[in-house]
Amino acid sequence: MICPVCKSDMFVIEYNEIELDYCNQCGGVWFDQGELELMLKPASSENNNLLLKKILSSRDAVTLEQKRRCPLCNKKMKKVNIGYPDILIDACEHGEGLWFDGGEILKLVQQLPTQSTKENSNEQNVVDFLTEVFHARKQD
Amino acid sequence: MLAVWIIIGIVVILAIVFVSTYNGLVGKRNQVKNAWSQIDVQLKRRHDLIPNLVETAKGYMHHERETLEAVTKARNIAQAASSGGVGARAQAESELTSALSRLLVVVERYPDLKANQNFLSLQEELTATENRISFSRQFYNDSVLHYNNKIQMFPSNVVANMTGFKTSEFFEVTAPAEREAPKVSFQ
Amino acid sequence: MWEQIRSNRNKSIILVIGMGLLLFVLGYFLGLLFLDNATGGLIIALIIWVIMSLTAYFQGDSILLSISKARKISREDHPRLYNVVEEMKIASGLEKMPDIYIIDDPALNAFATGRDIKHASVAITSGLLQKLNRDELQGVIAHEISHIKNRDVLLMSMCSVLLGTIVILSWYASRIMLFGGTGRSRRDRSSGGGGAQLIIMLIAIVLMIFAPIFAKLIYFAISRKREYLADASGALYTRYPEGLASALEKISSSEIQVQAANNATAPMYIDNPFRKKGAAQNLSSTHPPTAERIRILRSMSGASYVDYNQAYKNIHNTHSIIPETALTASSGAIPLRSAQSEKEGELDEKKQARETSDVLWRLNEYKTVDCGCGVRLRVPPGYRGTEIKCPRCGSINQLK
Repeated sequence: MICPVCKSDMFVIEYNEIELDYCNQCGGVWFDQGELELMLKPASSENNNLLLKKILSSRDAVTLEQKRRCPLCNKKMKKVNIGYPDILIDACEHGEGLWFDGGEILKLVQQLPTQSTKENSNEQNVVDFLTEVFHARKQD
Repeated sequence: MLAVWIIIGIVVILAIVFVSTYNGLVGKRNQVKNAWSQIDVQLKRRHDLIPNLVETAKGYMHHERETLEAVTKARNIAQAASSGGVGARAQAESELTSALSRLLVVVERYPDLKANQNFLSLQEELTATENRISFSRQFYNDSVLHYNNKIQMFPSNVVANMTGFKTSEFFEVTAPAEREAPKVSFQ
Repeated sequence: MWEQIRSNRNKSIILVIGMGLLLFVLGYFLGLLFLDNATGGLIIALIIWVIMSLTAYFQGDSILLSISKARKISREDHPRLYNVVEEMKIASGLEKMPDIYIIDDPALNAFATGRDIKHASVAITSGLLQKLNRDELQGVIAHEISHIKNRDVLLMSMCSVLLGTIVILSWYASRIMLFGGTGRSRRDRSSGGGGAQLIIMLIAIVLMIFAPIFAKLIYFAISRKREYLADASGALYTRYPEGLASALEKISSSEIQVQAANNATAPMYIDNPFRKKGAAQNLSSTHPPTAERIRILRSMSGASYVDYNQAYKNIHNTHSIIPETALTASSGAIPLRSAQSEKEGELDEKKQARETSDVLWRLNEYKTVDCGCGVRLRVPPGYRGTEIKCPRCGSINQLK
């Protein structure tokens, strides 16, 4: 896959049998729809398909941040807030997956565990997983 | 004159029907033969696998001489029956299958053996072969069903009787243990 | 082996001939209209058709496989898939093992291709491969092998070539007419015999509009019939119609559409790759409604054609789907078997997903690095460095 930010060939990280696409240049992460589903299936009581739908149905956040294109379908993605201050992730309108900028991952890793707005929700699980994978970057 | 032509016409039509029915029967018979040789290939493969499997198991299973010997014996009998008829062969192979499934039950008690890479790959190969045996048997029986139907049903039965086609025997599984065997599916 | 191949093919072949005639009539009148010469039109239609047929015959499978970005695999790459295909090859009595392909696509689908049983391939999407248990996979593969065994692949690709030729001819003819005028009017010779000219023009217009529609309807009718038959054969080969039924259920509940599918390749898939729904869906679909196929499979009391036919009749209250000759030839009870796979809940989807992506990364020449912290890194083939920093623990790993 090609990184939507710096256009370089992305790496793949496999952790706990879940795959993430990871850009070695900018630190951005693509969380694919299929992998989201795999990860959320056992843990959450909510229907796992709902996460992306819920995220997509939420209001487009007002921001000056540059729009990114989905690395899979190449359509412009939607900026959404998933319940953490200062963090606007990108979601593919076709439901292909979620994009986290390198800086967003860093913020998530550094902010946690101080603030967790929703206990044991799908969003929380996704963020927990990303923190677990990228905890080394706290020192960056 | 017209009557002669009509008779000639009927004879020609009958001859065409006869020849095409006959060819159809030959085709079906070849199919049965072909299906039989498919079973043969898979059974031979199993016969070749067993000595290695027994040899590997021997090193770990010190208290199961009888079970191992039973497998070897059943395998030798089955191999000897290879040249025999369908019924005899099906019987011998069922015995072998049940001897093998007894062995695989006992294996559960030997964790060291189960960890042995060589044994594992042999066991996997054996399971795959068991599955192939059951499907080639299924295809053989399907082919026999068609062939026998053709021989026994009108109008092809007339041709079959005149030219001496004989019904084939199904490859029947007798031992109840056999039906259980190809269940393992870790592949 | 099975009678239904012959007698059902005969009906299908009549329909194909119908499509061929349609093409020639179209060519004839378009020739009259544009070239003032019926033979010329026939020859043009024939040339387009021959070129497309030859391409489809010799290159069709490789074109289809390459546009769907399919990757050929061997036994070592995916033993479970390979073994299932081999088992179904044996159960169907196919002479040669088909090539096996995996398509890197999260959509759930599979197809068979190849001009004859000696040059056949089955392809399955990675999405489907990870969602199915062994019994379901076997059902899907059995259905695809049936398409090969019943020689549907060649029939359907020849059909789609005919359809394509008719569509192309009508499309270009209508553009020329709209924007260029007819040959006659350009040369302005139509002062005499205007009546005949008008009739020819009317016929040509009617043909331009209706020939593609008719051709499509014929095409869809053939395709749907072949689907039912492949389901019936699939049930016979596996002795377990529930496997295919439950696979179809999973496939139809998925919302992802196959990326590389188009109208011409649609009948090759196990289920309609397009997800749009509409009133005309029944007539204009390459596949019978999935819910109905599942219902038929689930109400089978045995695994034979007779059982499938009975189940079909119970649901439709009409004619047989399988020809009488095939039914009598295969009369005899064939019992169903019981499930082989583990219970549904035990299907480890994550493990199957990793098994499948493992194959795909390897085939795409990604390098694999296992870091001590539990992270596995896949490095794209274009990466030039010799070491890589683990994004989890920060340690440096050497690339081999």
